[in-house]
Amino acid sequence: MRPLDEKETTAVFEKIFKFTGNNLKNIVENPSHEGPDQNPGRYCFRLHKNKVYYVSESLVKRATNVARPKLASIGTCIGKFTHGGNFHLTVECLNLLAANAKHKVWLKPTSEMSFLYANHVLKGGLGRITESIAPGDGVVIFSMSDLPLGFGIAAKSTQDCRKLDPNAIVVLHQADIGEYLRMENQSEQLIEE
Amino acid sequence: MGKSKGKQRKQVTLPPELPPEITEDEIEVSDEDLQFVDENTDYAGFVSRLDTHSITRQVTRVEGLSEDALEALYEKRRRKALEQKENEKSVVQVDPLDALPVKTLDGEVYYRTFSQIPEVAENEEGNEDKSIVKLTKAERRAKLKRSKKEAKKQGKELAKTEEVQPTQQEAVLAEVKEDLMVEETFETKKCKLAELGMALLADPESNIKSLKEMLQFAKDGDHSIVKLGLLSLLAVFKDIIPGYRIRLPTEKELEMKVSKEVKKMRFYESTLLSAYKGYLQKLLALDKQPIFHHVVVRCICTLLDAVPHFNFRESLLGAVVRNIGSSDDVVRRLCCATIKSLFTNEGKHGGEATVEAVRLIADHVKAHDCQLHPDSVEVLMSLSFDEDLGKPEVQVGNNKMKNKKNKKRKNIEETNQIQGNDRKKGKREMMAKMKEEVAADYKAVAYTPDVEERKKMQSETLSAVFETYFRILRHTTQSSVASSEANGSTAPGASGAHPLLAPCLSGLGKFSHLIDLDYIGDLVNYLKRLASGGSNSDGSAQKVQNMTVSECLRCCIVAFKVMRSNLDALNVDLQDFFVQLYNLVLEYRPGSRDQGEVLAEALKIMLCDDRQHDMQKAAAFVKRLATFSLCFGSAESMAALVTLKNLLQKNVKCRNLLENDAGGGSVSGSIAKYQPHASDPNLSGALASVLWELDLLSKHYHPTISTLASSISGMNTAQNQVYLSISPQQAFINLSLEQESFNPKFSTQKSNNKRKRGTGPSTLASINPTSIDENEVSKKLSRHFMLLRDIKENERVRGELDRTKSSLQLYEEYKKQTKSLKHKTKKSKKRLPVN
Repeated sequence: MRPLDEKETTAVFEKIFKFTGNNLKNIVENPSHEGPDQNPGRYCFRLHKNKVYYVSESLVKRATNVARPKLASIGTCIGKFTHGGNFHLTVECLNLLAANAKHKVWLKPTSEMSFLYANHVLKGGLGRITESIAPGDGVVIFSMSDLPLGFGIAAKSTQDCRKLDPNAIVVLHQADIGEYLRMENQSEQLIEE
Repeated sequence: MGKSKGKQRKQVTLPPELPPEITEDEIEVSDEDLQFVDENTDYAGFVSRLDTHSITRQVTRVEGLSEDALEALYEKRRRKALEQKENEKSVVQVDPLDALPVKTLDGEVYYRTFSQIPEVAENEEGNEDKSIVKLTKAERRAKLKRSKKEAKKQGKELAKTEEVQPTQQEAVLAEVKEDLMVEETFETKKCKLAELGMALLADPESNIKSLKEMLQFAKDGDHSIVKLGLLSLLAVFKDIIPGYRIRLPTEKELEMKVSKEVKKMRFYESTLLSAYKGYLQKLLALDKQPIFHHVVVRCICTLLDAVPHFNFRESLLGAVVRNIGSSDDVVRRLCCATIKSLFTNEGKHGGEATVEAVRLIADHVKAHDCQLHPDSVEVLMSLSFDEDLGKPEVQVGNNKMKNKKNKKRKNIEETNQIQGNDRKKGKREMMAKMKEEVAADYKAVAYTPDVEERKKMQSETLSAVFETYFRILRHTTQSSVASSEANGSTAPGASGAHPLLAPCLSGLGKFSHLIDLDYIGDLVNYLKRLASGGSNSDGSAQKVQNMTVSECLRCCIVAFKVMRSNLDALNVDLQDFFVQLYNLVLEYRPGSRDQGEVLAEALKIMLCDDRQHDMQKAAAFVKRLATFSLCFGSAESMAALVTLKNLLQKNVKCRNLLENDAGGGSVSGSIAKYQPHASDPNLSGALASVLWELDLLSKHYHPTISTLASSISGMNTAQNQVYLSISPQQAFINLSLEQESFNPKFSTQKSNNKRKRGTGPSTLASINPTSIDENEVSKKLSRHFMLLRDIKENERVRGELDRTKSSLQLYEEYKKQTKSLKHKTKKSKKRLPVN
C-alpha cells in the first residue's frame, strides 16, 4: 500500500473529473469522521496491488498494522490500473460519483433491467437527462427514484439526443450495480487473492 | 376699451341701430375747421379727446330731422346693415372652419386647431383688442376693419392735433398693417388650401393637378402654413390613394394605342404617384428639422398605418423604424403603435411589410449596438405566427413529400414516355405548360395569400426576430464580461447597461415554441452565462456584475420555458439553472430592486411544474425556501410556502425534514451535516436538518401564513392530503394585494380565520377585511370624529379662558403698579411741600 505517484494521481483525477467536474474538490476535501480523533480527518487515495482505494487517514494509519500481502482491501476501492498503465473506474466508486455527479441520466423503469445486464443506454430508455452533456463526458445513471445504477460515457450530446431515433445509443456502459451479482465469483476471487 | 366695445356690440342689435360708419361721414372736415383747430390748439385740443361714440350716439338719435329725412336715414341704415350681413355671409362661405367639417368625420381635426390658435394670437397682438368675448371669424374681421378705420382716423386726428409724436404713431400703424398683411395672407393661403383639399376630395380624378399646388404650400416660409399643408395633404392622400399598388406603364405600353379612359387613368395615376413621391421627399427632408419633427412623424405614421400596401412603403418604414427608439416619448409611442398595427393587421399588406419592418428593426438594433429604448424591441411581441410554422421539420417534411410526389410523377411520366410515342409526349408537354400558365394566372388574379409564400415570409420574419434576440443576448453577455474585466470601474448602472434585455427575454419566452432545435443549445448556453452573471457563487469575487436578480431569474424562466415548449419527449434536467435559483433566492431583496412576481413565477415554473426532482435537491430547496420565508414580507413568504408544500407533497422522502431528529438517518446521504452556505443544492445535505422554521412561521402575524405553516408541519401525520390548487404566483398576488388593506392588530379577523381554518386554502385566500358592514364603520368613524372635534373645541375654549385670565391678571398688576405709582407721586408731592 502506497500513495499514488504524480502520474497515477493525474490519471485518477482526470478520470474522476470527467464525471464530477469541479465537484472533484468535494471528493478530495471531504472530511472524515472515522477514528477516535475529534478533529475530522481527510480522505486520501492509496494504491494497493494495482487497485486504487479511497480511504480515510485514520484507517490508513491503522491498516499499517496489517502486512502487505495479507491486506485484501481497505476503504473503498474506486478503480484499478491495467497492465498498460491506464486507470479504470470500478462499480464500487459509484456512490462517490453519484453524490458529486455533474452529468446525470435517469432511466425509465422499463429499461433499468437492460442496463443492469451491461447493455448501453438507448434513447428510448431515457427518462431524463441533464442538459449540456458533451460526447465523451462521464455520466452517472440513475433510476427514476434517484437510485444510482451505474455510470458510463456519453455517446451523444444532449442537443443531439433530441433528434436521435429511439434505438440509438446515448450512454456507453462502463459499470453497473448488476455486476455485484453477475461477477460475484470474480470479486470473491479477487478478495481471496 | 374692449368692454365698451362689447357693450356697443350688444347695442347694435337694439332698435335705433347705430351704424358705426356714421362717424366717418362726419369726419369730412372743412379747411376752415382745420385752420381753426390749428390756430387754437389750446382750447380745441379737447376734440381729439372727445368720446366720439357717445357723441355720435347722441347725434344719431334722430331728433331734429324731418320725416322724409328720417325715412331716408332709416333706409340708409337698413341698407348698410344688409350690406354688412352680406359681407359676413360671403366671408363665411370661404371660411375653412365652417366649410370643412363635412370631411372631419374621418378624424381630420387639425384644420381647426391649427387655424384658430395662431389667428387668435395674431388678432390679439394685431389690434390690441383684448376682447375676451368669443367671436366668429366674420365678426372679428368686421371689427378689425372698423378698428383699422378708427385707427386711421385717430391717426389723422392725432397727426393734425399733435404733431409732437408722429413717428411713433406711424410705427404703430406700420406694425398693425404688417400684422394685418401677414394675417391676411395666412388666411388666404389657408382658404386656398382648404378649397383645394375639398375639391380634391370631392372629385379626385379631375382635380388631381391641384395636388402639386398643395405641395407648393409645403415649401412656404411660414411654419404653420407648412404644417397645415403637410397635414391637409396627408388627409387628401389618405383618402384618394387606391387600394392597389400603382405600376407605372412601361414604354412599350405607352406606345400602345389605348382608349381615352385608360389614358386618363394613366395620367391620374402617374400624377398621383409623382405628387406622393414629392410629398414623401418633402416629409423626409423636413424630418430633420426639429420644428416639424412631430408633424412629420405623425404624417408618416398615419400614412403607413393607412396605406401600407402602396408604393414607397420602404421609405416610410425606414423613417418609422428610425424613430422607434427615439428619446421623445410622443414620437416613440406613435411609431411603436404604427408598427404594432402593421403587425396585427397583416391583411392590409399581405405580410410583406412585416418582414421588411422586422428586418429593419433588426438592422436598427445592430446599428445602435443594442443601446436603444426597450420599446423598440417590445413591438416584436405583437407579431403573430401560424401554429405550425416554427417547426422546420414540418416544412422539410412537406418538401420531401413534394419531392417524392414529383419523383413519382416523373417516374410515371417516364414510364409513360417509354410506353408512348413522341407525339404523345409533345402533346403532354404542351398540356403541362398550359396548365402551369393557367395556374400562374389564376394565382395572380385570385389575390389569396399563397400558403407557401406566407410560410416563407413568416419564417423570414422569425429568423429576423431571433437574430435580433440573439444579438441582444450576445451583446449583453459580452458587455457583462467586459465590465467584469474592468473590475467594476464603471459604476454598474443596473438595467441601464442592457436596456433591451427585458423585452428580449419576454419575447423569447413568448416565441419559445418556434425556436429551431439547433439554436437551443446556444441559447441555453447564453442564458446560463447570463443567469450566472448575477451571482458570485463560485467564490469568484471578481465577478462584479450588473445583472439584477430579477433579470437572472427571468433568464432561468426563459430557459425553462424554451426547454419545456420544445421537448415534450425528452426530459432535460436543467441543473445549472437550479443551482442559480438556489443562490438567487438568497440574494433576493424585496421592494424596488427586485420584483416578487418574477420570483414567484420562477418558483412556479422551476419547482412546481417539474414533475420530479432529486431528493437531495428537493430537500435543499425546501430548506432554503423555509429559511427564505422567515425573512421576507408576507407575500413572498406565502409564495415560498406554497412551493414548499408542493415540493413536500411530491417528494415523500423529503418529509423526513418534518421529523424531529436532526441527522436525517439513512436518507441523509453522504453529507452528514447540513451546510447552509453550500452553493450547490445537491451538496447542502439539507436532509440532515429539521424544518424548525415552520414552527416559527406558525406564529406569523399573518393568519394565512400561520395556518399554512401549521398545516405543512402536520403533513406527515395527516391521513388525506388536500392538494393545493393555488400556484405560488397566485398566492403572491393575493397577498400583495391584500397587504395594503391588511391590519395585523385586527383581533376579530384572526378569530374569523381560526374558525374557517378547516375549510381549506381557497377560502383562506379569499378572506379580506372588506366584508365589515360599512354603515357601522361610518357610524363609528363619525362618532370618533365628533369626539375629536369636541376635544378640540374644548381645548380652544380653555385656551381662550387662559388668555383672558392672564390678561386680567396683567391688568390687575398694571392697576396695582399705577396705584403704587400714584401713591408714590402723591407721597412725593406730599413730601415736596414739606421739603
